[in-house]
Amino acid sequence: MTTPITTSQTIGPFSHEAWQWAVDLGTVASAAAGGITIAGTIYDGDGVPINDAQIEAWQPGAAGVEAALDVPAFRRIPSDDQGGFTFTLADIALAPGQPVAYVTVFARGLVKHQFTAVFLADDAKLAKSAILEQVPAARRPTLLATKTADGQYRWDIRMQGDMETAFFDYV
Amino acid sequence: MKFDTIAAGVYPELVYPPYKSTLKRGPLQPALRINAPVPVGENIAPSPRILLPFDTDLTAQGDGAPLGEKIVVTGRVVDEDGKPVRNSLLEVWQCNAAGRYRHKKDQHDAPLDPNFNGWGKMMTDDEGRYRFVTIKPGPYPWGNHHKAWRPAHIHFSLFGNVYAQRLVTQMYFPSDPLFDYDPIFQSIPDLAARRRLISRFSLEETVSDQMLGYEFDIVLRGRNATPMGI
Repeated sequence: MTTPITTSQTIGPFSHEAWQWAVDLGTVASAAAGGITIAGTIYDGDGVPINDAQIEAWQPGAAGVEAALDVPAFRRIPSDDQGGFTFTLADIALAPGQPVAYVTVFARGLVKHQFTAVFLADDAKLAKSAILEQVPAARRPTLLATKTADGQYRWDIRMQGDMETAFFDYV
Repeated sequence: MKFDTIAAGVYPELVYPPYKSTLKRGPLQPALRINAPVPVGENIAPSPRILLPFDTDLTAQGDGAPLGEKIVVTGRVVDEDGKPVRNSLLEVWQCNAAGRYRHKKDQHDAPLDPNFNGWGKMMTDDEGRYRFVTIKPGPYPWGNHHKAWRPAHIHFSLFGNVYAQRLVTQMYFPSDPLFDYDPIFQSIPDLAARRRLISRFSLEETVSDQMLGYEFDIVLRGRNATPMGI
């Protein structure tokens, strides 16, 4: 018999000051990291940018190289006035088929946080991804960041629509 | 850890029309059940350096005492097996006694309190317990509908012991008359799940003539934790 869980409630519009400490740490970490940068925009079902979301990106493989940081391998990014977000990851070898980052999305009007993950569209080992093979093929592109320049990738998050991001519930 | 499917009605409805912002922001496709060893076995690991001297006393972050009713909030964080979630990061944030957040977008015509920020953070102890001192937050109006007022609440952000345990929720106070009119609270179909978000008054945690005590226990998803609690 398991104990019933505590349910979720929205982050609301007023998290920013309370969450800023980790945003600041992530900004410093991104500036020092030598890996790829992922930039994107988070959109609602009308294609309107969400300007008060919080995005958390976790790169578990970077825990070692970022061990000296206060929160290694972690970036927290509030979406900006245009719904934009950007973070830079540590420069580590990508394990075959693993996402470059596990991502959690929070927002006003989102009553439960959403888990997802971002992969690189030009990763030659994508076909070996044990996670992606659990995602219906038609939805896999929503998890792929596309290269825009050397070390620069674009990945948008869509809460609804034809390209609604595939969100996860971990087993 | 293992993450079972959660019974229908326990989580709020992602699109719940009375809470208007959900209409275009709640995903329409069901979440994909994904088997992935890393999110259910590892987590971010914050350094103790992140904890600041007054992170667990929100009444001590200014030059003087904030206005309002000083309270202490405490509880245990456990998993679905009832095992303590130890050494786990927990963030809290709230408005002040007048119902105003220290936030650039809060337009409520109520005063800021120069002695109250309304945020803190802490790690759970070996029993999964947390404790912080604060001011009882006030109710406040919001733009969802005519006479929309939020019941008094404190926001909680929990990281758990593995990544998949992440939770953001809100703690409410007993007997709030606004529960029946709040679409955020009402977006949870299951009555018992709603009630689990309501803290209970505790004479035991009440501190002499200083502050009333409230208890709020939190159960994170996940069972079959490793014996060491990771």
